[in-house]
Amino acid sequence: MGLDRRAFLGLVAGGTVGAMFTPIPWKLIDDASIWTQNWPWIPRVPKGQVDYVATTSKLCPAGEGLKIMRVAGNPILAGGNASHPLSCGGVSALARSEVYMLYSPARIKSPMKRNGKTFAPITWEQALVEMAEKLGAAKGAVASISGDNTGTINEVLTALTAKLGSAGSFMMPSEATTAAKAMKLMGVQGQAGYDFENADMVLVLGADIFETWGTSSRNRKAFGANRPAGAKPANTYVYVGPTRNNTAAVCDQWVPAAAADLGVVALGIAWHLLKAGATSNAPGFDTFKAVVNGGFGPEDVKRATGIAPETLATIAKALASAKAPLVVTGSPFGQGLGAAPVIAGMSLNMLLGRINKPGGVSMLPELPSVVPGALTRAAMLDGDLPAFLKGVESGKTPAPKALLIYDANPAYGLPEAATMAKALEKIPFKVSFSSFMDETAALCDLVLPNSLPLERYDDVATPYGSGFCVYSLVRPIQKPICDTKTTGDVLLGLARKLSIDLKFDNFQQVIKEKVASLTKVSGGFVAKDVMPWQVAAGKPAPALVGGDLWKALEAGYAWTMVGQAAQPAMGFAAEVLAKAVKAGKPATATVLAPYAQLRTGTPVTGMPCQDLTMVPDTELKGDTTFIRVNSETAKALSLKKGQSVKLSGAGVDCQAKVHIFESVMPGMVAAPLGFGHTAFDYYSQGKGANYLSLAAVAEEPGSGLSMWIAPEVKIA
Amino acid sequence: MSGQKKEFPITWGMVIDIDKCTGCGACMASCQTENNVEPQREASNKLRATSWMLVYELTNDKAFPNHDIAYLPRPCQQCGNPPCVSVCPVIATDKNENGGIVSQVYPRCIGCRYCVAACPYHVRYFGWYDPIWPEGMDKTLSPMTSVRPRGVVEKCTFCHHRWTQAKDAARVAGKDPENLDDGAYVTSCVQNCPSGALAFGDIKNPKHKVHELVKSPYAFRLLERLGTETQVYYISRREWVRKLGDNYLKSE
Repeated sequence: MGLDRRAFLGLVAGGTVGAMFTPIPWKLIDDASIWTQNWPWIPRVPKGQVDYVATTSKLCPAGEGLKIMRVAGNPILAGGNASHPLSCGGVSALARSEVYMLYSPARIKSPMKRNGKTFAPITWEQALVEMAEKLGAAKGAVASISGDNTGTINEVLTALTAKLGSAGSFMMPSEATTAAKAMKLMGVQGQAGYDFENADMVLVLGADIFETWGTSSRNRKAFGANRPAGAKPANTYVYVGPTRNNTAAVCDQWVPAAAADLGVVALGIAWHLLKAGATSNAPGFDTFKAVVNGGFGPEDVKRATGIAPETLATIAKALASAKAPLVVTGSPFGQGLGAAPVIAGMSLNMLLGRINKPGGVSMLPELPSVVPGALTRAAMLDGDLPAFLKGVESGKTPAPKALLIYDANPAYGLPEAATMAKALEKIPFKVSFSSFMDETAALCDLVLPNSLPLERYDDVATPYGSGFCVYSLVRPIQKPICDTKTTGDVLLGLARKLSIDLKFDNFQQVIKEKVASLTKVSGGFVAKDVMPWQVAAGKPAPALVGGDLWKALEAGYAWTMVGQAAQPAMGFAAEVLAKAVKAGKPATATVLAPYAQLRTGTPVTGMPCQDLTMVPDTELKGDTTFIRVNSETAKALSLKKGQSVKLSGAGVDCQAKVHIFESVMPGMVAAPLGFGHTAFDYYSQGKGANYLSLAAVAEEPGSGLSMWIAPEVKIA
Repeated sequence: MSGQKKEFPITWGMVIDIDKCTGCGACMASCQTENNVEPQREASNKLRATSWMLVYELTNDKAFPNHDIAYLPRPCQQCGNPPCVSVCPVIATDKNENGGIVSQVYPRCIGCRYCVAACPYHVRYFGWYDPIWPEGMDKTLSPMTSVRPRGVVEKCTFCHHRWTQAKDAARVAGKDPENLDDGAYVTSCVQNCPSGALAFGDIKNPKHKVHELVKSPYAFRLLERLGTETQVYYISRREWVRKLGDNYLKSE
């Protein structure tokens, strides 16, 4: 039987049509398309049972409670904990990074010892021997720096430093250090706590309360809870500051004012309140009244700040007529503010009768100390680290023989970075307990990496800004990935080696003792069904069942307490205001107005790798960061959009490009912080400039506190 | 715009209160890790960077001191009449499931980028690079979303996997998986927003908060006149913000 042409074509056509009606070609195409995307270098997602465990963010200063999603026991995602009063379900970009930062390329993988210009890995035992030998020889001249405002680790660190002969135990400067100085000058004890949840009118003087100031996630939740979408807000927020920053962007009103003039604005409002009859029995009221009436009338303030008299009169009237007004003062970039503006802002709260009231300010007591010989938080906050290091650099202060640095990066995160780095160079033996290879660790002789928060026991006690005392637990949910140890354990091991008795064998014991001590604090309760702001508003606080506290903390609930410490009456500290706050002439030079954002990390975290995507290209493009000026300033300085410029200040030059942004005051140069790292990994290193290094430190008259709130810069 | 809006019994929608958004980026951070978007070294090159959720800065274009700003988080708008679907030559993207979420099937995608060009909201991202995590960080990948290779297009899915989980949870609890409680299914960005600026739910379900929110006189959608019938609504009491939602003439 022959196959003619017609039959052949028929067979081919029939076969083709038949094949098209079978699933075979489609299945093959589908499989091929999957195979083309199935390369060995494409990561596979993990498989296993999913569960959730609770802890608290330590990387984020806002101290949010977290729910960590795990797969087969491995942490995968960090989300907000709806049951935690500092989270209420929200989480910052920085707190979200807690999990993936476990594998940050900048992590220090083992203890290391300096070997010339590089580091060589050593064992923990070698590290302890080396440290014991050097610290033993440095006795009487050992200093310590902590960047952790909220941890009980500070008790271990300061107690050890004291037993070694302290040359000073310092906290990195922050809003908390400034506020502590202000409260001390006003004659009160405790940490100022702000009850946003119950306030109906909030005047924000400078503080970036929704980004870097205090408990920012909780602040935002409190703000949002009273502002139903599309409806009339149940609260009013007014922001005073040099730029329309993330806080001002959602406030009902932005009043442009230089950061150097925040005290002037506060006293200008006080003038209106006093005129309307506000009075106080607090010590120093008469002097305060004389100071305000003597130099902060509407025309004085207008001349100094450019703010129209009717603007401040309207704000004063709104504050006086609100049921629960609240005044919050802070730095637009989280540091560098003098004590006087905080005193001036607090004076408004006093004139309005807002101390220890729902929706007002309370002086929160410090939680009990458990390590013998430790400094209190107030004592640590009283130190002035920039002044100390400047003294060391200039030779006026003897350089300590050894320095212990915990959770801090002073070589990057302080103003006048060049001066601070020189001071650090003068200290012969430095130990960093950083988890990441930061700028300061790179200068140290020993680097003893701390385990990350998901790998260790730690705690968060009343972050600055919280309206109530709060304590929550950080607990290990993952074994250390690298050869790291909890610094608390390392310090206690070192103490044993030096025959110093700090009462505890390991840091978990310290934390357990701390938790046990909370059960003895009167009025404390676990925030579960009742939240602390409800108690502040009058709801009865539930009783605390002592034995269950550890379990409750492990489950992600927080211990809280409402109310302030018993103490003498708060004074106006008018003599400080008289010296430090002046309604002078406006600055004629160009002034730097730095701003900070959690998405660029902190000096100790560097830029979390996932957060780099969140930085807009009007802030970072390639390796260059942008400064922001309005069109009036640009014209005055002959600047154009996209122009490359050099900023100079404090003997340092920084490169930038120009972005025209109208929500910056004339004469101000807004500059983002968190860039310009020389250490860390490729997500941080070499990205832009560190504009904080341009800020020169000055001494505030009246308080003696170091300040760098409005540094002058030159642009070329 | 040709085509007609596809209707479904359930219509998942997001309502974003612009007046509460501080522009912090927590929604972007939540989205990236939830959906296995890799960390990008050169993320400042926005033509190549991937961000399923992106926060835009809006301004009223006035000079100081009358200048004002607002932040607009932008997920996939899940159009009722999606321009991306009609141009896809391989049906890698479709709107064919109850809930109205526009799908994206990565293995089917041939990377032609017609959908990228067609989308008026710029929500679609082409993978220019192999997805690479720093060493070890791939251990933190979410099991809920597959990792996409380079060469395909990806976009926000309203965290579709969370809907599946919520339905499973409802079944276990003996509830109707097709009638979830308000809040039983929310996206990662909505859950983690510290300001509470984002709300999520079934727009057609009167028991869900978003059902009322979309009727607010301050609610608007982006580029409404294109007829895309998006399932993402924005709310702002500021008129200039609402006006930026579409290309209005000065006389309008």
